[in-house]
Parts: sequence; structure tokens; C-alpha cells
Amino acid sequence: MNVLEVKEIKKSFGSKKVLDGVSFSVPDNCIFGFIGRNGAGKTTTMRAILGLLKTDGGEINVCGERARYGCTPKSGCIGYLPDVPEFYGYMNAHEYLKLCGEISGMGSSELKTRISELLELVGLDKEKHRIKGYSRGMKQRLGIAQAMINRPKLLICDEPTSALDPVGRKDILDIISAAKEQTSVVFSTHILSDVERICSCVAFLEGGKTAFSGSLEEIRAVRGNTALELTIVEPNDIERISSAFPDGRVNDGKFILPQASEKDCADLMAFLSAQMIPIARLERREADLEDLFMEVIGK
Amino acid sequence: MKGFKVLLKKEICEIIRNKRLMILMAIFVLVGIMNPTIAKLTPKLYELMSEDFAEQGITVSAVKVTAMDSWSQFVKNVPTVLIVLLIMFSGIYTTEYSKGTLIPLLTKGLSRSSVVLSKLAVMLLVWSIGICLCFEITYFYSDFYWDNSVVSKLFFAAFCWWLFGVFMISCIVFFSSFAGSGIQVMLGTGAVYFSMTLIGMYNKAKEYLPVRITDSVSLYKGEYEPKDYFGAVIVTAMLSFVFVLVSLPITHKRQI
Repeated sequence: MNVLEVKEIKKSFGSKKVLDGVSFSVPDNCIFGFIGRNGAGKTTTMRAILGLLKTDGGEINVCGERARYGCTPKSGCIGYLPDVPEFYGYMNAHEYLKLCGEISGMGSSELKTRISELLELVGLDKEKHRIKGYSRGMKQRLGIAQAMINRPKLLICDEPTSALDPVGRKDILDIISAAKEQTSVVFSTHILSDVERICSCVAFLEGGKTAFSGSLEEIRAVRGNTALELTIVEPNDIERISSAFPDGRVNDGKFILPQASEKDCADLMAFLSAQMIPIARLERREADLEDLFMEVIGK
Repeated sequence: MKGFKVLLKKEICEIIRNKRLMILMAIFVLVGIMNPTIAKLTPKLYELMSEDFAEQGITVSAVKVTAMDSWSQFVKNVPTVLIVLLIMFSGIYTTEYSKGTLIPLLTKGLSRSSVVLSKLAVMLLVWSIGICLCFEITYFYSDFYWDNSVVSKLFFAAFCWWLFGVFMISCIVFFSSFAGSGIQVMLGTGAVYFSMTLIGMYNKAKEYLPVRITDSVSLYKGEYEPKDYFGAVIVTAMLSFVFVLVSLPITHKRQI
């Protein structure tokens, strides 16, 4: 079953078309990477899902319920971590989570155990200071805790790692991975290594449309052929290789044979050995998300 | 309703911790003490300045101070405190909207009406407690030094001031439902006040305008009776109610 279904949503700000038919769906217990450039419309899509933004068309279903502008989908269904989470600086983490839990309608005994559980999960259990003294990373972690307080079926994180240092990023990714046990996660980002690390499904957003949507395996299947990257010792030899393999291209002094099959690889090696061309390095490169991303955005 | 209670608790915690409550209460108490004190010191001030006056050819006879002077000070000073209160609360909604602090709470199912009403409730609470304190202190000292019985309709006049404050607070609620910043809210609220004053200058509608109920001195002196104010009291109460009521659907449609 899909916890979230987005069908053909459209949104313009004045004459600027931001979303022009975005569609994707998120299955249960999956970490879904929502990838796009800055300004591609990731935040706009997420706000539309949350009912914080009025769309010009299309349909959004959250946990089987239609999302509408101004009405938050039924309580307990969605947890949201904004890109720059803002809290009440005069409260401490415990007090803030208590406020969130009470608004979600949780009972006080349940809330007490849930708060200590979450504070431990995000590593803020020993933090007694007020939120105004928190670093960006601590705020992100508190943001995840507040989003998960009422055990939502869907956790939406808007660029949770974009502004963090490597340690903070790893922490957040670990927390999100751990959250997968309890909930589905939609995770928007433009950092592709994060997506490869934790996501099982992805969607690319480009030009206001979903340019690609599917599981990571599907992407790998599409881009099944690997590229060969050859570095040679004598730059002059490169022309001989190019004429023998017209599909290849020269990039930065390296010869690259895209979408090379096993046979192409053997042929290239046979050619090199027959022509006695000395090489520095021959590498098979797995197609990664970056290739696909570049292809999607047309660069 | 549950959201309202939780949020009201949060609002009270907020004004206590960011010291807003303390500052406002201090001002209310200070003004409450100042009203009779200034009245009490007036003869002394005249005495000190009588030599200067004498040089200019003005003779100052002994000034007799009564409770009336103390209450005139009350009427002069309460607007200042009200303005301070309005300035302090002008951004109570807009800062939350612009900073995005409400988003996590709204996505948890908090209704926007609870947001509007809980903040209104906390403003009303502060204003009511504050004006009561200010009134009681002035009442106590005025009675202690002089005699309050020379001043008529004290309680009704105080009620009118309270109601006028409620009206100005409802203006904040109304303008906050669509304005982008605290300054815009303040300008809107100020514009309401000035347009009322302008209309009152040239129009017979004066009797029904909310500013009418702030004319306490005429009440004190017995020139007017409470029944002369009833029209304005009803209009003020109705306008306050309508402002709050209208702000609910506007806030609901507002992009946060």
C-alpha cells in the first residue's frame, strides 16, 4: 500500500510555473529520496502535501485521505521537518516536545516515555539548555524528534542535511535510517551521496515535472551498462583509440567509453595490447545517481 | 478546544519567560502609583516655581488638590500604557507566521482558530489584570490622601477604558490576520484610532464612536451620565467582536 500518492499537481507563483504535473507515490516503510536542484520545487511540493499551500490542480492522498489546503491531514498521519526548523527559543527540548505531543492529543504518561525515547534517539537527552542556544545540527535533531512524536505514518524531511557538517549529516542520516522501522520517510535533498546511502526509492524533480521515479534498483537497471574510463600514459595515443572506438569521447585527457558491455571492455583491452599502448589506469565505472541526475537535468 | 488550552499555556509561558509580562505589569503599577503622586506633588511644584512666576508677574494662589486631580492623571496616563501594550503585542501573530514556528504545530493538527483565540486570550488577560492593578492602586491612594467620593462614576469610567483596550486589541487580531509584520499591524491599529478621531471631529456619529468612551473626565465631573455612553459602549463591543470573528476565516486562508 502507498502511504502517499501525488498525482499531477500543479502550482504557479504569478507567471512562474513551479510545479507542472508532479506525480509520484511512496510505499510503506520506505525511505524516499526526493531529488532536485535548488528551486526545483521540492519544498513547494512538500508544503502542498502538508496542506500549507494551495495547489492549482492535481490530487494528493495521504494515508488514503485527500489532502486539502488549510486542513492538515488527519492527526497522527504526517510528521514534518522544515528545511530550517524554527522553535520557541525560550523552551528546552523536553518542554517543546511536550507541547507538540499535547497538541497531537497524546496522554501524559505515553508522552513522557515517548519524549525520553525520542530525546535519546536524537542524542539530546542530556541537553538541559533552552533551544535559543542550540546549534543548527541540534535544531535539526530536535526537528526530527518533534516530527516523530506522534508516531506518524509518513515523515517528511525537507533538506535535513543540507547545511550540516559531515558529522552532523551522518547523525541525521543514521536517525532517519532508524526511523524507517516505524514510518515511511520522504526526504528531499540535492546531496546525491545521502540518497545513495539511505534511500530505497527516488524521484527526480526537474522543470516542474517528475523526470524519473522508481526504486534504486530500477535506476541501476536502467543505467545497467557501466562506463569504461581509460587513462593513458602518452597523450598522443588517444587519437588512435578514438578512431578505433567512435562511441567513446575524450574528457579531461581521459578516454571514456559510455555504456560499455563486457565485449566492449575485452575489445578495448585487446586493442590496447595489440597496439602496444601503455596505460596508467583502466576503470569500470558504475553508473551512479549523479550521472542520472545530470542526464535528467540535461547537462 | 484542547489545542486552545495547550497553546494558552504556551503563550503564558512565553510572556513570562521573555519578560514581557513583568515589564508591562511594572508599567501598570508604576502608573498606578504615579497618578496620585503627581497630584500630591502639584502644590509643591507650584510653590517651587512661584518665584519664577512672580518675576513674570503671575501670582500663584494656594492650589487645592482633590481626588479629581489624581483621576485626571489616570485618564492622561492610561492611553500611554495602552500604547505600550499594543506595541509590545503588535508582532504576537506576525512573528510566528514569518518565522515559521507555527508550522510544526499546525502539521500536528492544531487549528488556526486556536492560534488566533489563544493569543487574543493572553492579550486580554494581561490588559485586564494590568488595568485592574493600575485602577486599584490609584483608587487606594486617592482615597487615602483625599476622598474618592468627589469623583463620580469611577467604576463605569474604568470599565469604559477596559473596553476601549479590548477594542484596540481586537484591531491587532484583525490586522494580524493579513498583515506581514508587526509594524503594519501597528500602522493599521493607529489608522483606526486616527480615523475615529477625525470622524468624531466633523460628524454627529461621535456619540457612537469607540473614542467617545475614553472621555472619562466628563463622567467624573458628572457632566455626562453612563446612559450617554451606552450607544458607544455597544458599538465598541460589537466592533471588537466582529473584528475577531472576521479575522478567523482570513487567518484560515492565510498562506503560512
